[in-house]
Amino acid sequence: MPVSTYLGSQLVDLCSVLLLLCCFAIVAQRRLSACVDLFALQSAFLAATAALVAFLTGHRHIYFAAALTIVIKVIVLPRILRKVIERLNVSRELGMNVNIPAGLLICGVLVIVAFFITQPIIPLGYLLTRDSLAIALAIILIGFFTMIARQKAITQMVGFLVMENGVFLGATAAAYGMPLIVELGVFFDVLVAGLIVGIYTHRLQDAFDSVDTSTLTVLKE
Amino acid sequence: MWSVIVLLTGPVVAGLLSLVIHRARVLHVVNFLTMLALAVAETALTRQVLAEGSVTTLGALVYVDALSDFILVIITAIGLSCSLYMWSYMDDQVARGVIAPKRLGLFFFLFHMFLFAMVAATMANSLGVQWVALEGTTLATTFLIAFFRKRESLEAGWKYLILCSVGIALALFGVVLTYYSSVRVLGDASSALNMTALIGVANQLDPNVLKLAFIFILVGYGTKVGLVPMHTWLPDAYSEAPAPIAAMLAGVLETVAVYTVLRSKAIVDQALPPEFTGNLLLTFGLLSFVVAALFILLQHNYKRLFAYSSIEHMGLAMIGFGVGGLVGTFGGLFHLLNHALAKALAFFVAGNIHRRFDTLEIDGVRGLARSQPITAMAILVAGCALVGLPPFSPFVSELLVVSAIAAQDFASDTMHVGRFVTMTISDEMRSLGIVTLFLFFGVVLFGGFMYRIGAMVWGTPPAGIAQGEPWTVGHVPVIAMIVALLGLGFVLPEPIRTLLTRAVNVVLVR
Repeated sequence: MPVSTYLGSQLVDLCSVLLLLCCFAIVAQRRLSACVDLFALQSAFLAATAALVAFLTGHRHIYFAAALTIVIKVIVLPRILRKVIERLNVSRELGMNVNIPAGLLICGVLVIVAFFITQPIIPLGYLLTRDSLAIALAIILIGFFTMIARQKAITQMVGFLVMENGVFLGATAAAYGMPLIVELGVFFDVLVAGLIVGIYTHRLQDAFDSVDTSTLTVLKE
Repeated sequence: MWSVIVLLTGPVVAGLLSLVIHRARVLHVVNFLTMLALAVAETALTRQVLAEGSVTTLGALVYVDALSDFILVIITAIGLSCSLYMWSYMDDQVARGVIAPKRLGLFFFLFHMFLFAMVAATMANSLGVQWVALEGTTLATTFLIAFFRKRESLEAGWKYLILCSVGIALALFGVVLTYYSSVRVLGDASSALNMTALIGVANQLDPNVLKLAFIFILVGYGTKVGLVPMHTWLPDAYSEAPAPIAAMLAGVLETVAVYTVLRSKAIVDQALPPEFTGNLLLTFGLLSFVVAALFILLQHNYKRLFAYSSIEHMGLAMIGFGVGGLVGTFGGLFHLLNHALAKALAFFVAGNIHRRFDTLEIDGVRGLARSQPITAMAILVAGCALVGLPPFSPFVSELLVVSAIAAQDFASDTMHVGRFVTMTISDEMRSLGIVTLFLFFGVVLFGGFMYRIGAMVWGTPPAGIAQGEPWTVGHVPVIAMIVALLGLGFVLPEPIRTLLTRAVNVVLVR
């Protein structure tokens, strides 16, 4: 393996691990605004990873995806979410379905599970980004777990966006990015989802005096 | 070519027009004319597909073959009848003060965006674009479900948004994995997610990656289909959505979601033995069928009753696709059409009852036969069709699925689910064990369903309920669907049969 490839691969791994660390930080964080900031930080690392892969491989269209990530996931979506938090009367998550230490332990297990699942398919990948696929799956699973463990509408949305970041890292790592039209569509969907959640929190606040989804218990068997 | 463009641009244009039009009558006319145009375009497209086999156009972005065309037939047929039903339903809701008159335009805008997303998901050549469009359906419908802005409907809309978004994020990872395997073989990055390209090289793709990809896709899109255990959003959403939207969700959106699963199945089956996808579909299908049958016994809300019946029918179709073969796949596809008709009829009827009785509780509804004779007849037809009684068409497709199961050799090592279910039964009976299970829960379902519907139809209406049912434009689709359910039970018209047979060949890649 040439030295440059080795170094590049190490750098990509480093960036992916920083994304994963952000996930753990989100799981350990009670303050809603800090969760949003951490998501913005994670997206910035994601953009850095994508730009790094684009630089090392010479695939120009990944630069484009990195730029879109910065605009939408680092600037626009966190701004929308912060506005929503400002308007609401809550800043901390008090009730959680799983407490923080247990949550962190579960996330550790999820990382092991992710590496275990992707073991048979990793050797097929490109040399440069091989191990990022496992990390991507770990991020998706942790995002999924965040959505289950938290009760506030905002943190559930952050969990969804973290999952999306994981999928995006997976696409960059596994196949050097998706076709352009697909990437554009995904960004559009994520942006609209963010706007819709903004409107929803507003209406939930009006109707239930709370954005705590544990109050949504009218409908059941 | 022109038909494809009409199908794609029609809903967008109509949706944008709805935002600027303020008169209710004009809105309805625009809506109806759009659906009529879509139906005409779809007829033309069907002729073209039947003549040429498949249509690829707009720079290979659009790919329509017999399977996607069959789904488009369902979308346009149910959409057209919905537009007629909405005419009387929405006007009535405005007159009763449930909806502010100026919000009607927003309703039609969202409705047409929903329609556009479904048409795009069905026509997309790229699996990635298909994903984008399917997520689009979630975003467009969540406010339609919460349109009445009650606490319950907000809750249902929120649950739907979150659960389906999570599911579909998992499916996106499945799509990424498919891309991961195909881009190595195809090399060309821009077309490596196109179905036209994938199906040709599917047998060279890496089986391990595809296995993982299919599991993610099935769980993800299965959430939108409403397969157990990812179904929890479904009864809430269907019971809180306005009746025509519930009809579209149950009749059409589920069908489109099944279609996306079938597309992946067709590709994965080339690289792996078909038992892999077959076992997964059969497991989820049987689980959905059994769980839904049990939950139907507990229901006190007629819209939830129909919602669980949707889960059950999707389970049934999945069993058909899981068993596979010519008969199973044909039965499954035909069942999608029959279910769409019967379920749309059921939700139209539910809308009529709700407007008259002002309750969703089954106990609050009595003497339908006296107060609303046409609706009473329609709910009996819908009920009989949904439990699979002859002479209605779901009976035919269910019979096909059951015979496909009976003919399947579950004793072989490959059908693990069959072995598991029939472990305790003697070897000779093994292939019939799963049929017994299926029929037993079919009977459970029949009892639970007909008991509830009978309770609503007969008896004396509560005091203060108006008697008699004047004809409205909303009755036209109800009658049309009764005729269609009866007619398809006796004869399968030639074009539909050809389309179905070819669609079966697309699923089985023959």
